[in-house]
Amino acid sequence: MIKTVIPVGPFHPLLEEAEYFTLTVDGETVVDIDLDIGWMHRGHEYLSEGKTFTQSIYLVERICGICSTSHPLACAHAVEDVDNIEIPPRAAYIRTLIGELERIHSHLLWLGLAGHFIGYDTLWMWAWKYREPVLQIFEKISGNRNHYGMLRVGGVGRDVDPDSISGLLKILDEIWRKIDMVAKAAGDDPVLKARLKGVGVLPKQAAVDYCAVGPTARASGLPVDVRKDEPTDAYGLVEFEKIVLRNGDVYDKLVVRLLETLESIKIVRQCLEKLKTTPGPILNDVQEISAGEGIGRYEAPRGEVFHYVRTDGSNRPIRHKVRAPSYVNIPTFAASCKGIPVADVLITLASVDPCYCCTERAVRMVDSHGLPRRIDLSKLSREKTARIRREIHE
Amino acid sequence: MGWYKKRLARSLWVFHVSASPCNNCDIEILDLLTPRYDVERLGIKLVGSVRHADVLLLSGVINEKVAPKVRRLYEQAPKPLFVVGVGTCPTSGCCFKNSYNTVARREDTIPIDMYIPGCPPKPEAMIEAIAKLMGVLNA
Amino acid sequence: MLDKATFLKEMGARIGRRIDKKGRLYFEVAGENLHEVVNYLFHTMGCRLSTATGMETFHGLEVLYHFSHDPTGQYYCPRVVITDKKNPRSISIAPIVKGADWIEREMSEMLGITFDGHPRPERLLTREHPKGLDRPLRLRRPS
Repeated sequence: MIKTVIPVGPFHPLLEEAEYFTLTVDGETVVDIDLDIGWMHRGHEYLSEGKTFTQSIYLVERICGICSTSHPLACAHAVEDVDNIEIPPRAAYIRTLIGELERIHSHLLWLGLAGHFIGYDTLWMWAWKYREPVLQIFEKISGNRNHYGMLRVGGVGRDVDPDSISGLLKILDEIWRKIDMVAKAAGDDPVLKARLKGVGVLPKQAAVDYCAVGPTARASGLPVDVRKDEPTDAYGLVEFEKIVLRNGDVYDKLVVRLLETLESIKIVRQCLEKLKTTPGPILNDVQEISAGEGIGRYEAPRGEVFHYVRTDGSNRPIRHKVRAPSYVNIPTFAASCKGIPVADVLITLASVDPCYCCTERAVRMVDSHGLPRRIDLSKLSREKTARIRREIHE
Repeated sequence: MGWYKKRLARSLWVFHVSASPCNNCDIEILDLLTPRYDVERLGIKLVGSVRHADVLLLSGVINEKVAPKVRRLYEQAPKPLFVVGVGTCPTSGCCFKNSYNTVARREDTIPIDMYIPGCPPKPEAMIEAIAKLMGVLNA
Repeated sequence: MLDKATFLKEMGARIGRRIDKKGRLYFEVAGENLHEVVNYLFHTMGCRLSTATGMETFHGLEVLYHFSHDPTGQYYCPRVVITDKKNPRSISIAPIVKGADWIEREMSEMLGITFDGHPRPERLLTREHPKGLDRPLRLRRPS
């Protein structure tokens, strides 16, 4: 029995971050997985201690570009939790509007990348094409496609122009129709089902042990969703459903994200309608934060973002702890990656939607002739899809 | 830049190096390939190996752990090679300048030929930068 | 009904000074009672560990765990205070909660705390770091 070790990373041909996995394989099956992280570590907690609360919100926006409003929301909640500060209702609707728009854009992004990993480049192009109108809405509201800079402690910094709301609702209707179509097409496709059902299963007990959050946990039957467990901002005032499925495989994670996108569009519509009829200030101007500690969290597209702030009465935190959802979701690889064939590793790693995902040429140390060979994990994944497609159409 | 301007000025093959970014610039770079901006019609494509690259797109403020790998990637790429720093991070370090884990000067790790500031830079700005690069190569 | 009142009744004798705010309960726990309290929170009440925060204060080092009770949205935060700053040691809860593995490794890397009983006490974020960082989150900043 030859055990081979495949190093994967840290630079990826097409994707975002640097990540370094070591897969131990026995033949075609993955036996163990080890992770080496730290390629992105920039020292946010250290930098936060020298900044004021308003500057901290700017800083944490740049932790991640995809969930770029989740961290400021959780940070603002943490600072407001120290003194139980209330925010005006108009600000609550604007915050929820931005948060849910971000969820739509992040899930569409994931859908495109998942399609790309298994060889469905058309899905990639379509999902990202229909992501552009969402970014257009952001540019209309905040001025930038990604880092919005809209949040302040006690409310938001910029208002939504009431004249633009009907235009935004029209763009939303168009997006709904297209996403509905893409979701139904992706859900119906026999090749996708054959490729993704039963792959990379995360059992419910493993999700509990590793304290998983977000769609990763909800696809395994664990009903954890901060928007319903502790409704802040306007989540208690709008109607939506929590999506929980049972099987825990990659197909269920895909379906959870698609259904959540449709729920998010519902929430955005309700917020825009309420903004037409809710006048008032958008900021509760807080002059002082007393000494104490506060916990703030928010349901980012990947799961629960957690911020903890310790204050001493001045305008700077003395400790600011940040925990992103991928930090708890990525160790679940140890439970979901064991026993699966190497061609499925890529899509299993991507299904958790880590804020870093990578593959590169993998160098296999020894093959049956004892000679080193090069294997491309993304090529393996696409070959498997092509094989399944041939089998289905025969 | 004499003898290779005929070969490089038409379709540039690009390799993306993400050295501790926040991912925003990376997503905007990938956005260039999607139907709205579509740089593939200009002949630009993202390659999987640094050995095929003409242009290295660097994003992120290089941190100490990844700096030796970035240096190694630069040395592996065949010259002539142009390094373009995408975003405010390689330009000035953005808000991470004073961290314990980031390098003091990005230019000490690899030389950077062109900067595209912005957090993130708009896709139109990136296309204009590529057009400028082609203009410089054609001069 | 598994709520805050039941928790305080069952575990009240094992916890020390407490801060009770809306939705948040912070309380001090001595090292020897930590496993019992965490067992009750994780297994009996079904709480989920969000994360843990380590920090250095004037009095010593603190390890603050954050347990979320999702059905009610209430947070239970046991705090372990370590007075020995030169050689700080605490008990690891990774044998009970697998999700505490990474966060305890990060705390030991950033602050220098040794967690007794941790299955894999290695560096997490700065493994094979070319410059070798020395506990960057301690109050004495590295020059």
